Amino acid sequence: MKPTLILVGADKGGVGKTTISRTLLDFFARKNVLTRAFDTENPRGSLKRFYPTITEIVDLENVAHQMKILDTLETANVPVTLVDLKAGGLSYALDIFERIGVLEAARSGQFTLGLFHIIGSSIASLDEIGEISRYLGGLEYILTRNFINETNFFEWDEETSRKYFANIPNSHEIDIPKLNEMAYEQVDVAGVTFKDFIDNRNADGQAGKFSFVLRGYVRKWCSEIDQEFSRVKLIQDILSGGRPQSKS
Amino acid sequence: MASSPLIAIVCSDRHRNGKTLLARTLVDFLLLEGHDPFVLDLGHPDGALRDYFPGRTALVDFAKIPGQMMVFDTILGAPGRDYVIDVPAPQLSRFCEAMGDLEFRAAANAAGFAVVVLYIVDEPHESLRSAVNVEEILKPDLFIPVANQFVGSALPEPVDGLTLTMERLDADLAPIIGNRRFSFRTFRLGDESGVPLPLRAGLKSFLHGLIGGFREIEPELSLSKLKS
Repeated sequence: MKPTLILVGADKGGVGKTTISRTLLDFFARKNVLTRAFDTENPRGSLKRFYPTITEIVDLENVAHQMKILDTLETANVPVTLVDLKAGGLSYALDIFERIGVLEAARSGQFTLGLFHIIGSSIASLDEIGEISRYLGGLEYILTRNFINETNFFEWDEETSRKYFANIPNSHEIDIPKLNEMAYEQVDVAGVTFKDFIDNRNADGQAGKFSFVLRGYVRKWCSEIDQEFSRVKLIQDILSGGRPQSKS
Repeated sequence: MASSPLIAIVCSDRHRNGKTLLARTLVDFLLLEGHDPFVLDLGHPDGALRDYFPGRTALVDFAKIPGQMMVFDTILGAPGRDYVIDVPAPQLSRFCEAMGDLEFRAAANAAGFAVVVLYIVDEPHESLRSAVNVEEILKPDLFIPVANQFVGSALPEPVDGLTLTMERLDADLAPIIGNRRFSFRTFRLGDESGVPLPLRAGLKSFLHGLIGGFREIEPELSLSKLKS
C-alpha cells in the first residue's frame, strides 16, 4: 500500500491544530493503524507530550528535518505519517513542499497526500482557502471546522461552500464536535491520549483515576468524530489498506 | 432485600405525585433492613430528602457536569452500598440522556449493582407512554411502575411483573409526615406517639403495602436474572 502523508495546519493560530492531530492519531490507534508524527512547533511541541513514543519535533526550515519526514515515507514501514504544522505555517509548508517537489511526487502517485485544513469560527478563516488553493491539485483536501471550543460558528450554506470549493478537486468538509470543557481540560492535565483517558489509563500505562462521567463524554465525542472521519475518502482508503472497499 | 447492592432510581414525568415520599419510604425501608443507603437528590436547590436523611444525602445540580460526576462517580467510586436517586420531572430527560450516553447501566452492573427504576405513573395517559420510553432508554434490571392512589394513575390492571401501589393517605397526615423530624422508620419500630390514634391505621396500611412491594424486589431481580 502507498504510504500516506497527512498535513494538519492553518494559517491562523489557536484554531485547534494539535487537537485535530491528536484526534487523528487517536482514531488510527483505535483502528489499529500504525502512525508516526512530526510536530513542527519547534522547539516545544505539544503533540509530543501526548504521543511521546511516536512523535518527533522537527524544524521544517531545516533540510535534514525535511529529509527525516519525506525520505522515510516508504522505509518507515508505517502507513500513516502525520505532520502537525505550527501556527501560521500552512502556506509556508505548502510552498516549501511545492518547491522541493513533494507535491509533484504526490500528484504523480508516489504517495498519498492529505491536508486537514483547520478553520476557526470566523468566516475570515475561509480567506485562507483562496491563499492556498494553488497548491491543492492532486491532494485530498479536508476542510475541518473545529467546534471543540466553540458553540457559535459562521453560517455554512451551499453558496458559501460553492464560493470556496468550486476550484478545489477532492475536497471534503468535516466537523469536529464540541467537547465538554471540563472533560477536555482533564485529558490535557492528565497528558494522555483520548483513548487512554477513555480506557482509564495513565501515561505510564497504569490504571488511572479519571472520572467515569468525563470518560463517558470523551468516549461519546470520539465516536462522533469517528463518524466524521469515516466519511473521508483518504481515511477510508487508509483503513481498507488500499484494497477496494466492499459496497455492502 | 436484594443481595446485589441497589441503585434505585425514583422518577416520574410529572411534578408533585409522591416521588420524594416514595424515595423517603424506600430509604427508611433499607435502613430498617440494616442497609446503609446513600441518597442523591437531583432536586437542587429545593430537594427535601436532605432534611430527612442529613448526613446521607447529597443535593445535586444535575444540569452541570460536576453534578453528574457527583452522581455517577460517587456511585462507581464507592460500590457495595445502596443508592437511591430521586429524579425530579424537569431533570428526567437529561438524566436518561446521561445514563445512555455514559453507558452507566453496564458500568453499574460491572461494579456489582442491580439497577431498579421505580416510576410513578401519573393520571394522564402520556405518563404511561413516558414510563415505557424511560424503561426502553434506561434498560434497568427491574422496572417497577408505581400507582399513587392520591393522584390517580394511568397504569392499567393487571400489569405483568411487580407493581407498587401507594395507598391514599389521610390529608391530615400531610403536616405530620412532612415534618422533618418525622421518621417512617421510627414509626415502624413502634414509636407511634407522633401520629394521632385515628390516623395510625391508615399510615400503617400505607407502609405495609409499600414495604411488601419493596420486599418483592429481590425475588423479582433473581427471576429476571434466571430469565435472561
